[in-house]
Amino acid sequence: MALTFSGVVSSMTKEISLEHVWVEFGEFTAVHKANLNIAGGEFFSFLGPSGCGKTTLLRCISGFQEPTRGKVRIGGEDMKGVGPNKRPTALIFQNLALFPLRSVADNIAFPLEVRGVDKKTRRKRADELLELIALPGQGDKKVSELSGGQKQRVAIARALAVEPDILLLDEPLSALDLKLRQHMRTELRAIQKQVGLTFIYITHDQGEALTMSDRIAVMNKGKIEQIGDGRSIYDHPTTSFVASFVGENNVLDGTVLSNDGKVMQIDAGMGTPFTVESHPAGGPALAPGDACHLFIRPEALRVSRDDSSVNQFETNFVTEEFEGNMRHIMMNTNGKDLKLSLINDGTNAIDANSPVKLDFAPELGIALKPGELASA
Amino acid sequence: MKMKSPTTMIPGLYLTLFFAYLFGPLIIMVITAFNSSTFPRVSPWECFTTDWFGKLASDDKLLAGLGNSLLIGVGVVCVAIPIGLAAAITLSQVGPKLRAALYTIFIAPILVPGVVIGLSTLIFWDRIGTLFNAPYESFFYDGTFLTIFGQVTFIAAYSMLVFLSRIQRFDTTLTEAALDMGATPTQAFVKVLLPFMAPAIGSATVLAFLASLENYNTTVFTIVSSSTFTTVLSSKVRYGLDPSISAVAVIIIAITLIGAIIYECRNRYNTKGWAHVIADRPVLKIATHPGTVAAILGVLTLAAVVFIQNHDSSACTAQVLEEKRALQQQLMEQQSLNTPEKTVPAPTMPNLGPLGGDEGGTSAPSPFGNNIFSPENLGTSAPAEN
Amino acid sequence: MRDLFYDLVRRNGMAVCIYLMLAVSIWVFLLIILPQLTMLDYSFRFNLPPAKIGGPEDVYTLEQYRYFFQGSGASDGINTLDIGILFKTLLSAVFVTIFDLIICYPVAFVLAKSSTGAKARLLVLALIVPYWINEILRAFAFRILFGATGVINETGMGIGLWDTPIDFIREDVALYAGLAYAYILLMIFPLYNAIESLDRNQIEAARDMGANWWQVHAKVVIPYAKPGIASGMTMVFMLTSGALAAPQILGGPSNLWFTQLVYQWFNSGGNWPRGSAYAMVLLIVCIALVLLVMRLFKVSIGEIRQ
Repeated sequence: MALTFSGVVSSMTKEISLEHVWVEFGEFTAVHKANLNIAGGEFFSFLGPSGCGKTTLLRCISGFQEPTRGKVRIGGEDMKGVGPNKRPTALIFQNLALFPLRSVADNIAFPLEVRGVDKKTRRKRADELLELIALPGQGDKKVSELSGGQKQRVAIARALAVEPDILLLDEPLSALDLKLRQHMRTELRAIQKQVGLTFIYITHDQGEALTMSDRIAVMNKGKIEQIGDGRSIYDHPTTSFVASFVGENNVLDGTVLSNDGKVMQIDAGMGTPFTVESHPAGGPALAPGDACHLFIRPEALRVSRDDSSVNQFETNFVTEEFEGNMRHIMMNTNGKDLKLSLINDGTNAIDANSPVKLDFAPELGIALKPGELASA
Repeated sequence: MKMKSPTTMIPGLYLTLFFAYLFGPLIIMVITAFNSSTFPRVSPWECFTTDWFGKLASDDKLLAGLGNSLLIGVGVVCVAIPIGLAAAITLSQVGPKLRAALYTIFIAPILVPGVVIGLSTLIFWDRIGTLFNAPYESFFYDGTFLTIFGQVTFIAAYSMLVFLSRIQRFDTTLTEAALDMGATPTQAFVKVLLPFMAPAIGSATVLAFLASLENYNTTVFTIVSSSTFTTVLSSKVRYGLDPSISAVAVIIIAITLIGAIIYECRNRYNTKGWAHVIADRPVLKIATHPGTVAAILGVLTLAAVVFIQNHDSSACTAQVLEEKRALQQQLMEQQSLNTPEKTVPAPTMPNLGPLGGDEGGTSAPSPFGNNIFSPENLGTSAPAEN
Repeated sequence: MRDLFYDLVRRNGMAVCIYLMLAVSIWVFLLIILPQLTMLDYSFRFNLPPAKIGGPEDVYTLEQYRYFFQGSGASDGINTLDIGILFKTLLSAVFVTIFDLIICYPVAFVLAKSSTGAKARLLVLALIVPYWINEILRAFAFRILFGATGVINETGMGIGLWDTPIDFIREDVALYAGLAYAYILLMIFPLYNAIESLDRNQIEAARDMGANWWQVHAKVVIPYAKPGIASGMTMVFMLTSGALAAPQILGGPSNLWFTQLVYQWFNSGGNWPRGSAYAMVLLIVCIALVLLVMRLFKVSIGEIRQ
């Protein structure tokens, strides 16, 4: 592989920076002051619900959309006025946008064709790329004869034929069924490692973002809420939106009783006050008397072994969703619903007819300033 | 079940009636083309003849008109298709407000009566010609050019509609993909959009050509002193009804049917189900290939032409003539016997002589050029038919 | 306008952009707008010999329109003949349009909702085939059909419905039948397209909720197909009122269609300004009528499609 991509690998280190990028459509602000750097060779994802501005941001990078304000730099160069056909980016569209009237090889060789490369070289290059995506000898097929996953790979090969520095992917897996989607995650990551290009990936599927990315930017309503690797986004969300959007979370309204910089006491109306760690990654500090959202992941809750655990409270069983490997149990305390996820290890610690005691570790409870929650 | 069957039959029955209305007149017209009667009619049936086709082949006016029509048709296609395509593309790229305004303008020529279009085209180019002091032979006054302009005005709108329905299914991300991969906008247009539009260009061409060929309302104004197939046909029909016009219809219907059959065969041949059936049956594969079907139809047409050229109905027509003469004679005798005062209308009498003289000649041509021998001339006079 | 131009250049490149703009401009200005304006201008002029055109006598006048309303006679007379012909033409066109709608609606509905695949395609092809036959020949076929010795008269007399041949031509029956036939396709296809896109489930849901067949059509199908109905009716009405071939061939000797008046002023009359004025009258009255009806039924012109 290295032989065909030696040229690409050497030029892959171009970094991208967005400097105070705004995009406005009339009254509507699609992107609100986006500010970030993406290093060369990084697998970077934009994660957010539909309409959050992630696709608009991608179109700013690819050149289909000019920012209203701010700058897009690629490899340090300002991209203002540079058309999509002049940028070192290649975009893989949500619907892949393979040309239906051209054969597989002609699709892959299209970038070379428009650059005036002769037919023989084009064919040779297409065959090399087909080899790379593990579809050797399929060049003469029609696009419609390929399966969903094969089309996906052809689209990647076509984008690679441009010899771009940056590959942009706009929810390319959303049309595939679940099994294939999971398989393609691994495959995409493998291709990225192999060719060493910068991948910028757009998705609303947190699973995709978490499994593939080096770093993730979570977006909502045009704003970037948090940037970080998968672990920090999941374990240490800095806004209520991120906490509620990435993964499942129980949210309780509470009031801060005390905060000494290391631990906080929070009254969440569950009987005893809860003790949680003060946020290590920063985020706005909470002072005594402040209202807050307390997030506890369903898998962080556990059934108490004895009566002496911290953050212990009593709940009543409501209902159970049985998923095979996991059991999702809905509980209720003082009118507040809580979800509890347990691994199905054959034991049954929940008695449907009498109150159950639950607790959680202080480092797994996250108290944040009240903010917008992601709708379910 | 008993109750349901009548209600499920109603749609079928209605469709049958509807298609009878659609095809009935055409079928009757086709039949009249083969009846030797000089007035196009089904009954009374006189003789099966193909002479009306022979009459067409020697109709120089009609042939000249056909030549002009084909020329105009080609001209219209060459101008209207690029215009229609440009209009459809423009509509697909402008904002909604401008699109609505443009659409109204583009669609207007379809709604404006053809008469008005023909007239305005004629006046406009006449004005321009006067402005430039152009000589009378210049194209400002030339029927062919004016007709092309006039017809393009609305045929461009037809082809635009064809292109619009195709372009609405175009995935604009394909163009973006091409641009993203380094194509210039022009390259994206030529390599992505144009190939996508190709089928629509094909069908719009056929549509435009046929629309041009059959147009009358506009052409009758713009053609000036020249003529087209349709205007010649129209004056023929208005001068007098003649089975050779039915013969024209037979030819056009035959061409249309052949086209439709080949089209349908091609559609069926290309379906996936059929490809499966013929995959391992080479004989069937060749037999059902649209090319084979076209060849068979071609041979049949050729056979029909040979048959038409060689069929001789003179013996039969002479006999019919003889019978008619006898009948008339008998009628006359009867009338003169019963009521000597009320004789048959006088004008038919002198004509009997010369025609009667033809009875012995076997090579008498069937079209006599007048229909004075129609039986109704014996009873009530029917001049209205002319 | 400048933004539009830049946008088109950006999307298509300079060469294609020039082609687009040139083609559309030639069509809109040279073929559509300017000829109509010239005709409008002409309709306000006197009918002068070529030598006097542009001379002192070539001034604007309402004479041609005055003639349409008042005729050549006394100054306050009314041109009942020509106005009558206009009314008759419009009335007949409305009648033909409604007739076409009534007979085409069931066909379009059956085609769109009960036929699928090859069968539907074949039926559609069968609809188009007659339309490919020349307009003149279609009129001619009706002439044969309705003639004194035509199939209709022969059959009618044969089974004893009437004794002497009925002159269908003079009674205009042949004309109406021929006109209705001529533009039937332009009614069916908009209806078919509109009804076809209606989700079958909506009909079944309505039926399920207890609507009888009449209510299904009145409350579900027809409101949904309204744009199709409007465009079909507009198309048939405009083409029928502007028809020339069928009235020339099938019209009775004393019954003129308004387009024939235009034709007469132009050809045998040699009076181009008056022909233009009559054409303008036809155009304006037809468009006004269509717009009025569209306003009544609340459909916009943008919904008209073939």
